[in-house]
Amino acid sequence: MSPWRGVRFGLILLAVAAFYAFCIAFAEIDLSRLWRGLPRLGAWAARAWPPDFSDFPALLTRAAETIAMATLGATVGALIAAPLCLLAARNTAPVSFLQLPARWLLDALRGIDSFVFALLFVAAVGLGPFAGVLGIALHSAGSIAKLWSESIESVERGPIEAAMMSGAGRLRIIVHALLPDVLPSLSSSMLYIWEFNLRASTVLGLVGAGGIGQELKSSIDLLDFPRVLAILLIIMAMVTAVDQLSALIRRRIA
Amino acid sequence: MSSDQSLRINDLCKSYGGAPVLDRFSLRVAPGEFVALLGPSGAGKTTLLRCVAGLIAPDSGEIMLGRQPMHLLTGAALRRARHDIGFVFQQFNLVRRRTALGNVLTGRLSDVALWRIVLGRFPDADRRAAFSALERVGLLDQAWQRADSLSGGQQQRVAIARALVQRSRLMLADEPVASLDPAAAESVLSLLREVAREHEMSVLCSLHQPALAERYADRICAIAAARGPLTIA
Ligand SMILES: Nc1ncnc2c1ncn2[C@@H]1O[C@H](COP(=O)(O)OP(=O)(O)O)[C@@H](O)[C@H]1O
Ligand SMILES: [Mg+2]
Repeated sequence: MSPWRGVRFGLILLAVAAFYAFCIAFAEIDLSRLWRGLPRLGAWAARAWPPDFSDFPALLTRAAETIAMATLGATVGALIAAPLCLLAARNTAPVSFLQLPARWLLDALRGIDSFVFALLFVAAVGLGPFAGVLGIALHSAGSIAKLWSESIESVERGPIEAAMMSGAGRLRIIVHALLPDVLPSLSSSMLYIWEFNLRASTVLGLVGAGGIGQELKSSIDLLDFPRVLAILLIIMAMVTAVDQLSALIRRRIA
Repeated sequence: MSSDQSLRINDLCKSYGGAPVLDRFSLRVAPGEFVALLGPSGAGKTTLLRCVAGLIAPDSGEIMLGRQPMHLLTGAALRRARHDIGFVFQQFNLVRRRTALGNVLTGRLSDVALWRIVLGRFPDADRRAAFSALERVGLLDQAWQRADSLSGGQQQRVAIARALVQRSRLMLADEPVASLDPAAAESVLSLLREVAREHEMSVLCSLHQPALAERYADRICAIAAARGPLTIA
């Protein structure tokens, strides 16, 4: 071990420590405030038991609304993603000058959270789950197109060249020779986004974009902790069920 | 003499980054003739066949297939010209998750409406042609089997059937038996020779085993690396 390596290691350690110090200062970390808040959290937790399921039918309706939003959001997202991923993938892009703009577009859609899109749509089309669906759809479109174009780029070139020898055009080749081999991975990505959307869409209620999150927000505002607990349990059950179902389907199509 | 059906390659040149691979290469293949392209690895066999198929562009020279100047075509004209060419690859290049039948129907893609391809409902005439091509290569019983469940020799027969339903005038085969065991290699090569005769189809087939070339080809064309030793083992 040369002495230089020791010095370099020390410098890296110092830089990392400085970065964390900066982060802690900017995030206004103050453990004494947490300490003073703990009794309050404890009292709320104690008051939350037993969970209040008196509104169960209404809560279930809201949960169904969330599932509907996540599902429709992923589906509309996939419809937007389908042409976008073909434009963006290296091996299917019909014209190379559209490839970069297509990538920018999908990166932009992916980079902006459904929550932010939902805020905009609530302002544009009004409160309710429809705004949520639109928000989820735009963000999902970017994520799905990204995953799909990566799957398509990783496909073998051989079968496509073989299909090119038939003299057929691009779309026919994509449908007949490319799609069958990537379909399992495309469906798997789509299911993954569906699961993700379900978790993400529980918070969309906070901006008035419908779903069970809306009940969560109003119960927290009223400090109705038994009801908050009941809602959290429903969310957990719903997310777990969908995760399991999606994992099951993905295993079957793999 | 149907000389305008033949494949004529004149003075073809292709180099990669200044290193010549093909240097003024010329060759003529008559209809129904089976020409073996014999040369060691790196001699430029794949490069030549891919130039003829229009999958890569040569630097200079000409490739005439009948009256079609393959070296000049681009876009839709190139696609139409490719319809006359079947290509059999060393790695078979079947769509793994399609059936043997589905892979053979690939040869008919260009004439079928897009919605039929999406729904997998090919016209009856095309299905009949695909079944009879499968029968010709001895795989009628495997028509509904997925491509990736077939043996290498069977996959290569499916690839030949794919070129048959296309009614290609020219069959290019790039080391079609290099991934096969000796028995399968013999049967694939004899099948290639038979269908060439039956359909008056020209075959240009690269091989690296002289014994096979001598047994199956009407004529052998030796190809050596454009630079370096000119000896062929
Ligand atoms: N895309 C390419 N880029 C650079 N060099 C290549 C490329 N394709 C082939 N070559 C070179 O051209 C030569 C001939 O290759 P190839 O046509 O594959 O020979 P063969 O099929 O007879 O083995 C080799 O030296 C190979 O390295
Ligand atoms: Mg080769």
